[in-house]
Amino acid sequence: MHKIIKWSFETFFGSIFNTLITLISLVIFFFLINSIIGFIANSEWELVRVNRRLLLIGRMPPEHEWRIWPILWISSYLVFSSISAWASPSKKDLLLISIGIFIVCLIFTTSATFIFVISSLLICIVSYGISYFVCKNIHNNYYKKFLITSWILLLPIIFAILLLGDGPKPTLWGGFLLNIILACVAIGFGFPLGVLFAIGRASSLPAIKVTCTVYIETIRGAPLVAWLLLAWFVLPKFLPEFWGINNISVVIRAMIILSAFTSAYTAEVIRGGLQSIPKGQLEAADSLNFGFITKMLLIILPQAIRVVIPALISTFIGVFKDTSLVFILALTDLLQVGRIIPEQSPEFFGRQLEALCVVAFLFWIISISLSSLSKKVERSLGIGIR
Amino acid sequence: MNLLFEKLCVLSRSQKIRNISIQFVFLIFVGLFVYYLVSKTLQLDITLSHFASRAGFGISHIFYTDYTSNDNRWAAYLAGVINTVRVCLVGIVLATLLGTIMGVARLSKNLLFSTISYVYVEILRNTPLLIQIIFWQIIFLQLPRISEALTLGNNVVISNRGILLPFAASNENGYGGLWIAIIAISLILSLSISFYINKQEDITGKVVKLYNFRLSGNLIGLLLFFTATIVTYFLLQQPYNIDLPSLYQNDKGTYLQSGGFEFTPEFGAILFALVMYTGTFITEIVRGSIQSLPKGQSEAAQAIGLSNYQTMTLIILPQALRSIIPPLTNQYLNLTKNSSLSVVIAYPELFMVSRTIMNNSGRALPVFFLILLTYLTLSLAISMVMNIINRRVTSIGT
Repeated sequence: MHKIIKWSFETFFGSIFNTLITLISLVIFFFLINSIIGFIANSEWELVRVNRRLLLIGRMPPEHEWRIWPILWISSYLVFSSISAWASPSKKDLLLISIGIFIVCLIFTTSATFIFVISSLLICIVSYGISYFVCKNIHNNYYKKFLITSWILLLPIIFAILLLGDGPKPTLWGGFLLNIILACVAIGFGFPLGVLFAIGRASSLPAIKVTCTVYIETIRGAPLVAWLLLAWFVLPKFLPEFWGINNISVVIRAMIILSAFTSAYTAEVIRGGLQSIPKGQLEAADSLNFGFITKMLLIILPQAIRVVIPALISTFIGVFKDTSLVFILALTDLLQVGRIIPEQSPEFFGRQLEALCVVAFLFWIISISLSSLSKKVERSLGIGIR
Repeated sequence: MNLLFEKLCVLSRSQKIRNISIQFVFLIFVGLFVYYLVSKTLQLDITLSHFASRAGFGISHIFYTDYTSNDNRWAAYLAGVINTVRVCLVGIVLATLLGTIMGVARLSKNLLFSTISYVYVEILRNTPLLIQIIFWQIIFLQLPRISEALTLGNNVVISNRGILLPFAASNENGYGGLWIAIIAISLILSLSISFYINKQEDITGKVVKLYNFRLSGNLIGLLLFFTATIVTYFLLQQPYNIDLPSLYQNDKGTYLQSGGFEFTPEFGAILFALVMYTGTFITEIVRGSIQSLPKGQSEAAQAIGLSNYQTMTLIILPQALRSIIPPLTNQYLNLTKNSSLSVVIAYPELFMVSRTIMNNSGRALPVFFLILLTYLTLSLAISMVMNIINRRVTSIGT
């Protein structure tokens, strides 16, 4: 007891400066907690409960709503199998994950969708268990290869489910679904392109190097909203006219721009990784008479990407956050839905903050889980620790 | 024939020839692509001639220029650029301050202080900037209406139309510019004099004394600067007055406000959001750089009896600056580019003005090139300044 009092006295009131800091922090804490409690006491979450369908899938027609559930099932299976296969989460992580999922379910479950949500939760638990036992087993290599393949196939599967059989037009996608699709496409296409551009920029051939540098620096030179505006006004005029490509939907244009943007930023990150590889590795690969592609795929890229995984993940988080900028293309993504719904119905007038809070929470929960993943990877690679 | 074929085989194995041929093929593809782009571009109007015509839209935040909607589009664009530069400059300074304080706080032994920093970073870094901008705008608009405006002794007026602060207003005698110039010159002079005296003190060990009272270089510089500015202020017949904001009702009963420096909700929202958002990244940079220093440095500082504050300012931060500055430059560039998001709350900066011009004129491409060029110029300016600082910082102690 004596020790605790001494410790707390030293940490909080050790010197005059320290005391001052403690007092200031107490004032800030008091102010924050006071305003948060005031907000919660006065808030009404009816707005979110009524409009949850809009928030999640936007203006998707009700007859196509069933397309969402297989996507949710497949992705929850993949996410939880991968968590169990690679991340080896501690009990604390599992608790946090389940709390997050619980809150999301609490906000967004209706009686109509109850059965689907329950089945999705069951799939989560079962897939976690299955891959936990398989990975203990001898077959774990095959299983991991299977998981990687299905991650790569995830985008085509999502598109097939959303579009096949007279699916809704892409302009009708909206809400959180749109954000996630845009982020997946941007990362899925932007990452491989970014690797290519990074290799090109590090290349010794001047023509390739200059071209890649010009591309990367031009894209990074202007803000994303400016590029999106360009897609809105000019991109159709630059696309070829056959098959009506020049009339592509605004969502596809946003995808093109976001992929280009991601590729430029990813290329810069990977370039850092390429520079960190000692020259001896290249020479060793050359002395083994590896060709260029073998050298890159087997020697250089695995090492380069491994070093920059934390930076890569934070770039991806940035891309995910940036998908909220598609408001400039008049798309109704999650944030736009959150801005519009308080204005639509008179009984919710002046309740923007509640809608904004839910929107921010949804973005936050995805970003924070990705960033904790990156911290975990960083720790397991031993980068931050000296 | 056989001989020729063999020679070709040998040649094709040569690294040099292979490199050239790869580049040649690559360049053909790039050239075709560029040709396609250029041919499509030439079908559009890519001159900026329409910028000479009347703009025809008002801009709500005019600073330093006197733009009206009758001016041409160049003037409107310039007003937008000035608004961008203004928000970026203030934002960069404040974000650096906030980030440094929070970065040091993150490593502080004081549990409360480090918790504040942790919560701040984890919440604000992981939500989109756009949400934060809208959030601050909502907060600013929840201030009392102008009829119930809060006033602080006639110095500050707070309402949802903005916060009015006392500001300097130039007198009509026309000496304002001269006084500003004198301030700048005396600032440079006093800085160099104090720097010189400090250096002499370091080298020779002699101290300038006035009746047993030690005059350090910093003190002399400060004295010089303030005497110079105050004396010239009165010599030039008080070129600037303090302009107090005022709140009054006209004869119809509507409330009006005038005078002072107007801190509008839009400017406040974009500034707060940019500072808070970029501050989180700067916090992480500062924390990472401090943590990357060997622990022996702070232990050595404690061993020679420096206080915690002195350890931080004299030993840790100067060394950490070397690894802070390159990523910091990146964050400044990001802040500049992110300021374009203020289009969502209608703060009329560069991007919003040019979007209006694009909509009005229907010629998007040349305006886009102009945007690209402007942001490139701003980025280059920031990188140049930061490179100079970086060179100075890395040259210390070598």
